[in-house]
Amino acid sequence: MKGFPGFGFQRRKRELQEEIDAHLQMAIADRMERGETAEAARRAAAREFGNIPLVQDVTRDMWGQGWLEQLGRDVRYALRQLRKSPGFSITATAMLAVAICANSTVFSWIDGTMLRPIPGARDTGDLVSLQRGERNFSPVPPFSYLDYRDLREQNHTLAGMLAYHHDWITLTGGAQPQRVYIANVSANYFDVLGIKPVLGRFFLAEEETRPDAVPSVVLGYSLWKTRYAADPAIVGKSIEVARHPVTVIGVAPEGFVGAMPGLRDDLWITLNPLGTNAWRMTHRGGGGPVWLNVIGRLRPGVSRGQAAQDLDTVMHNIVAAYPDDHLGENRITLDPMWRSPFGANGYMAATLPILLAFACLVLLLTCANLATLTLVRFVARRRELAIRQSLGASRVQLVRQMVLEGVVLSIVAGVAALVLTSWTSKTFAWFFPVSAAPINLNGSMDHNVVIGIAVFSLLAGMLCGALPAWRSSHAPAIEVLKAESASISSGSRNRKLLSALVVAQIALSLPLLLCSGLFLRTLRNLAVANPGFEQDHVLTATVGVNISGYSRDEEQAIRHKILDRMSALPGVKVATLTDWIPMILNQKKVDAYPEGYAPRPHESLMVLDAEVGPRYFESLKIPVLEGREFTPDDNEKTPRVLIVDQTAAKRYWPGQDPLGKKLKVGDGLFTVVGVVRNSTHTFVNEAPEPMVYMNLFQAGYETIVQVETEGNPADLAPAVENAIHEIDTRLPVFDVRPLRESTQIANSFAVIESTLAGTFALIGLVLAITGIYGVVTYRTQMRTHEIGVRMALGASRVDVLRLVLLQGLWLTGIGLVVGLAVALGLTRFIARMLYGIGANDPITVVSVVMLLGAMSLLACYFPAHRAMRRNPVTAIREL
Amino acid sequence: MGEKDHYKNRIELLQGTLDMLILQTLQWGPQHGYGIVQALRLRSGEVLQVETGSLYPALHRLERQGWVQSEWKQTESKQRARYYRITAKGEKQLASDLGRWERIVEAIGSVMYVKPEESES
Repeated sequence: MKGFPGFGFQRRKRELQEEIDAHLQMAIADRMERGETAEAARRAAAREFGNIPLVQDVTRDMWGQGWLEQLGRDVRYALRQLRKSPGFSITATAMLAVAICANSTVFSWIDGTMLRPIPGARDTGDLVSLQRGERNFSPVPPFSYLDYRDLREQNHTLAGMLAYHHDWITLTGGAQPQRVYIANVSANYFDVLGIKPVLGRFFLAEEETRPDAVPSVVLGYSLWKTRYAADPAIVGKSIEVARHPVTVIGVAPEGFVGAMPGLRDDLWITLNPLGTNAWRMTHRGGGGPVWLNVIGRLRPGVSRGQAAQDLDTVMHNIVAAYPDDHLGENRITLDPMWRSPFGANGYMAATLPILLAFACLVLLLTCANLATLTLVRFVARRRELAIRQSLGASRVQLVRQMVLEGVVLSIVAGVAALVLTSWTSKTFAWFFPVSAAPINLNGSMDHNVVIGIAVFSLLAGMLCGALPAWRSSHAPAIEVLKAESASISSGSRNRKLLSALVVAQIALSLPLLLCSGLFLRTLRNLAVANPGFEQDHVLTATVGVNISGYSRDEEQAIRHKILDRMSALPGVKVATLTDWIPMILNQKKVDAYPEGYAPRPHESLMVLDAEVGPRYFESLKIPVLEGREFTPDDNEKTPRVLIVDQTAAKRYWPGQDPLGKKLKVGDGLFTVVGVVRNSTHTFVNEAPEPMVYMNLFQAGYETIVQVETEGNPADLAPAVENAIHEIDTRLPVFDVRPLRESTQIANSFAVIESTLAGTFALIGLVLAITGIYGVVTYRTQMRTHEIGVRMALGASRVDVLRLVLLQGLWLTGIGLVVGLAVALGLTRFIARMLYGIGANDPITVVSVVMLLGAMSLLACYFPAHRAMRRNPVTAIREL
Repeated sequence: MGEKDHYKNRIELLQGTLDMLILQTLQWGPQHGYGIVQALRLRSGEVLQVETGSLYPALHRLERQGWVQSEWKQTESKQRARYYRITAKGEKQLASDLGRWERIVEAIGSVMYVKPEESES
């Protein structure tokens, strides 16, 4: 770094040089005129002029830009100092880069998900997600169309309110049927989000509920690119969706993938494009018509609380007008999109901020470690500092110089972290296995993250540079210069600060270790937990019967054929059908209550439901406790039957025999024919929710083949797919995979938590151990002379060993006690995320403390051992 | 560093006076740094020897304050040199410096030259 270009600085420097040269030339010329020789004149003139660089220096100070050059000089000096000790510089930079990268990586994930809930949408901070009724972690769509329309028309606080229903369908008409994710949307959908089409137009108000002979669709950008080769004349063309012709009216802009955070839509269509949703459009209650997610945009100046109150009032009136359609809880609550319970952000908001807190802990720990290193280095440099101080450098100048060294390090580390993060930010997607859900989650590397990195690194630079610098500059220059290196104890203040820093490192790493221990044990518990159903030897395959344009009768016929074919396949033990797979973050819910039951006001009647075929429970090895499971004899013409799990039985008929009882589900009345054992629905660590199973042939919607295999289920996948295609080649088959693979997604968040916490804890452990090792080594070195004297006076080697070890153990002990107090205070924040283990699990606590203690002991042993081996004579001589 | 501070102190001590002397020298016509040193030496009867370490910082500071302007010109002996010229603002400053200087001289004088009969009484 050679000065600062710009500001005409170089030019002015040159001019000053020339001015001085001219001065000297004139002086020499005058002297020679007076008869001096050229040589004598030059010497005399130079002597008379004085110290040229110094004159330049003080003159430049007058330019008012001196600070800039001074900064340049300080930076140059800092770089020189750092070059002098490459070991320190490289270690420090690497440590800081890793710690900053840990923070920026988690932050980039937060930025890419929670802070960017709907890519492409305008001012997502003004958007609110509406929920009706009781709040839970993964709710189902809460609104009927009529309720949505009333809320939209009668509220006074929202500038706009959209509704959508996420679904999937088959694109036919091409060589291969393709499953695409779609949303049925209200006409104002794009308008409320603030999205403009790249081609054509979006929906008109009159199209919202109108069925059309040829419905209109809006294509997503990537679908337009991949399936339609970015055809610029696509608007107005006809394509086929589920064997119905539809007209493309527009293309959405690049990057926009729908309003549900974390999930992708490939195309958009209106709410009732074919007239098949007519019933849903004209009813409010029961299960079927409640199918819409709703997002509102707050009017300027309206708070979320005001809007919630306003909407709740409107909802209250709707409930009063149609009480039979609104059993249970109906209160409206609003969430900002970053923690919207619909889509991925509910999960993100529960996981990522805690991980960011862990990362911050790592950064603090790194700073404490670097401060230790820096302090030790400054103590070693105290002669240099003292000399500079006695030459007139003020304390502020010295501190500025030392802080600058820290800042230079952290800037380099920040740049390294930036490069690292541009890669690590994209690793988020790795945590989500391929699944039936169109998961669209990843970190993003935008200006927010760059600003974040800059803030993190400046903070780090200040923390690990300023504190030790301020402390070191306290040393009175005269004493330091007088005293010969080792004979002074480097000041008890520094020793105290060093000890405090070591204690802080141990105290900070303990909570990291404890949390990661708890997370790792949670992950293991989840992995070995019995979900209550068979996961191995089960293969599932989704058949797009319902989304390919078959009639109801054709659909039933196809289902029967599939069942027959599958049962006959070699290697298949049990074949069944279902329309729901457990533990894939997918839930279906309906209102259900016993016949003749009068619900209390605001009583939630929602239960989980699934529609399954005969032998379903056999295929998953779920025991039937009472009654029977469905048989091929249960069909559309026979009375509607139902199977409940233990939780539902206990909830509706406590102390009674549920068999033969009748349950009203949606609009139908079902007779209970069986009770099955509870099994996991969504997460292994969920609270049991009542579940009712209906018959697929009586109430099912989707068709998923589920077979129990003799061998490896993956081996059977091609045979299953072929068998389905043999029934009808146009049947789209997708998501063919072993059940064990599908259910991985339920543990994704536990994997994220334990992976990150584990990595952070490892970094923390290494930092804490190197920290205590460094300080004990350093302090032992400082006491070499003293130890020599002790040994000469008769102290045994064991005494020396004990002396050094005790000092290290004392620090470790304090660190462990403080750390334990902090850790036990902090673990309750993660208690919610644990499974099968208490937040203060004594075994984990004891093992973590033992681990840290043992590692510290080891770290202290090496310097102690070295001190013990010293020859007392050379030790005394060493000053 | 130590030497630098030494210069700095000198500037501070002389500041008011040195500025005034430089501005007065420039009243007689534009001049370069070497010329100012020579002029002050000659006019003061070889008593005032301005050090370059004080002169150049002062010149550059005066220029920054807008009291002098500089331009590069040839001397009679064909040497390219930077000539300083006093500005209208500088002349006003000179007048005020001079006024202050006279008051100080008068004040110091009235202390130093006390009438003997008064001191005897």
